[in-house]
Amino acid sequence: MNRTENNAAPVDKPEDIRPEPFQFTGTGREYFGIWIVNILLTIVTFGIYSAWAKVRRQRYFYGNTRLAGHAFDYHARPKQILIGRIIVLAGLFTYNIVVNLFPLASLALLLLLFLILPWLIMRGLRFNARVTSYRTVRLDFHGRYWGAAKAYIAGPLLAAVTLGILAPLATRWAWRYSLGNLRYGGRPVACDPNLKSLYGQWWLSALIVLIGFVLLGGFSMSIYGFLGWEDSLMTKNEIRIAILSTTYLFMLSIILIYAFAGLFYRAGTRNIALNAAILDERHHFSSALSRRRYAWIAISNLLATLFTLGLARPWAAVRMARYVAAATTIRIDGSLDDYLNQVTETGPAISAEYLDMEGFDFGF
Amino acid sequence: MDSDGCAPVAAGFWHPRRSSRAVPAHMRMTVKTVIVTADEDAAELAAGSPENVTVSDRIGAIPRHILFEDGSVFETDDNDAVDDWLASRFCSRTGILHRLERFHPRLALFALLVVVLFAGLYRYALPAAVELAVAATPPDATRLLGQSVLSSLDHSSVLTPSTLPQERQDAIAGQFRDLTRKTPQGEDAFTLLFRGGEHIGPNAFALPDGSIVLTDALVGLAPDDDAVLGVLAHEMGHVAGNHSLRSLYRAAGATTLILFISGDVGSGIHDILVQGTGLAALSYSREQESEADRYSVTLMTKAGRDPAGLARMLESLDRHPHAEDGTDFFSSHPATPARIEAIRRHAAQPPEG
Repeated sequence: MNRTENNAAPVDKPEDIRPEPFQFTGTGREYFGIWIVNILLTIVTFGIYSAWAKVRRQRYFYGNTRLAGHAFDYHARPKQILIGRIIVLAGLFTYNIVVNLFPLASLALLLLLFLILPWLIMRGLRFNARVTSYRTVRLDFHGRYWGAAKAYIAGPLLAAVTLGILAPLATRWAWRYSLGNLRYGGRPVACDPNLKSLYGQWWLSALIVLIGFVLLGGFSMSIYGFLGWEDSLMTKNEIRIAILSTTYLFMLSIILIYAFAGLFYRAGTRNIALNAAILDERHHFSSALSRRRYAWIAISNLLATLFTLGLARPWAAVRMARYVAAATTIRIDGSLDDYLNQVTETGPAISAEYLDMEGFDFGF
Repeated sequence: MDSDGCAPVAAGFWHPRRSSRAVPAHMRMTVKTVIVTADEDAAELAAGSPENVTVSDRIGAIPRHILFEDGSVFETDDNDAVDDWLASRFCSRTGILHRLERFHPRLALFALLVVVLFAGLYRYALPAAVELAVAATPPDATRLLGQSVLSSLDHSSVLTPSTLPQERQDAIAGQFRDLTRKTPQGEDAFTLLFRGGEHIGPNAFALPDGSIVLTDALVGLAPDDDAVLGVLAHEMGHVAGNHSLRSLYRAAGATTLILFISGDVGSGIHDILVQGTGLAALSYSREQESEADRYSVTLMTKAGRDPAGLARMLESLDRHPHAEDGTDFFSSHPATPARIEAIRRHAAQPPEG
């Protein structure tokens, strides 16, 4: 304890600024064992082990993410996760029973879900922050209900009704909320990505969507045109089935076009958001993902996982984590020594598990 | 210090309670004590007995955290030294999970086991669970389910009161009753309801409680009574097979299965799996349709009626101009030539077949 005094004084010399890259030190070979044992035990225990599996997976990924010689850690306890999952499953079960038994009530229920969704998101983000530590100091999250409603309900809605034209606005709100409300040792993270820079990353994706739609439009027009021929040899039935399957393919193509363009957009806007993020008014984040490389890794990962019946997943997950970590840097100004943990309670895991099980993806 | 010469020593960092400060230090572990000493000036930073320190689990090669009673933490990458110490102190207590997870030919066996178990889960355990759930569903619940769906359709004006002449309704209802008497479930298992309904066109559908809704438009389109009865017998097949309850439970089971696995497969594969179960549900419902077709043929034969009535009805529907929004009987019952052919082939067979 005799050394506390020496290091307590903040070091503010500008020459102390040094860029520290994030680093991911896990390997596909090592993670494969953890992953396959997780799945095996989850199946054998009828899902109960999935809570322990999640903690081991998260601890592996957090513990291998290193910054300036120290690793992150994940602190959720398996029993906490298990209870959260059981409550979420019971809730989903009840919801489905009510929807099926009282179809008229389902609209009201859906509305109710929309009303509590921001709260769930807020609590989920808080839980995830509070179970994350770096150098034994926990992160914390101070976002509120209305911020979540704006960032995750109003934003996506606005982006959807404008066919993506206002997507950068939604992205700005989402980053401002999820990253800008984080705290480390009681010190805030500021994040206010510039709207103009976000649009700078938007036009390429918009162009991809536009080109995709033009191609798709031409293609489907010719198919529907063919089906509409009066002297077609097909029966009314066959035409109907052909139209149905073409429509299905059409919808699928739209989803694929948006997903493809979304990869570029996500990588580009992450760069903008992190470049605009500052911890404790002095440590600047930066991100230098290459959009093309990011999209390539995501797509080839997906294909490799598909064609190996999932067995390539550990390799794929590690590959992505490695790339994203290596592209992320903090310019440390002074020292990271004088942060004090402020978090003592994590709260229940229910909201975080709900978001997790519904497939919401919040990666910091 | 001298007496502990052979005790395992791990190098790492020591963090004071609550603090991000990291002091380069090493930890000496003996049978009775654990002591953390600063590298720089050999000052003792933390000490404890093996019973009152908490050691984090080993996962891969991530750093170990040793939490002391005073709240300070020692962090080390030297997993082996910590494990050696734990092994000497607590015999074989060291992570069995970690030993299972280590890269080893055994993992290939695990992978094979996972593939087999997963296939078995989907192929056998899921249908078995569905059967169990169907058997465990109280009749009251099915009644409530059927009635609430019907009342919501009635209230939202999807269905309107029938405008079919009473004598026509009575004639069909009488023939329907004769048909129900030939089923193993008996007369009380089925209820016939006449409804109008512009939006859903020529249509008939079954509810889980045995109510069968028949629209006026379908009666109007039918070439003869056996065509109407063929459709009704088809819907009775859905009721007898508990098809709506089965699809409901099956969807719920598949969704639960995906929920448990989603964290381990990533969001892309998660989305594909969700789409995939949608497609699987589609093929499952097609199986149910042919099962109901066969039920119709068998029942009509048993009742001494024309077993090809359903096929005739499907053909008339095909010639009928369809509702543009695809909500009529046709959208859920595509009358492919293959299907009509199958009904006719089945109808031509001797009754035992």
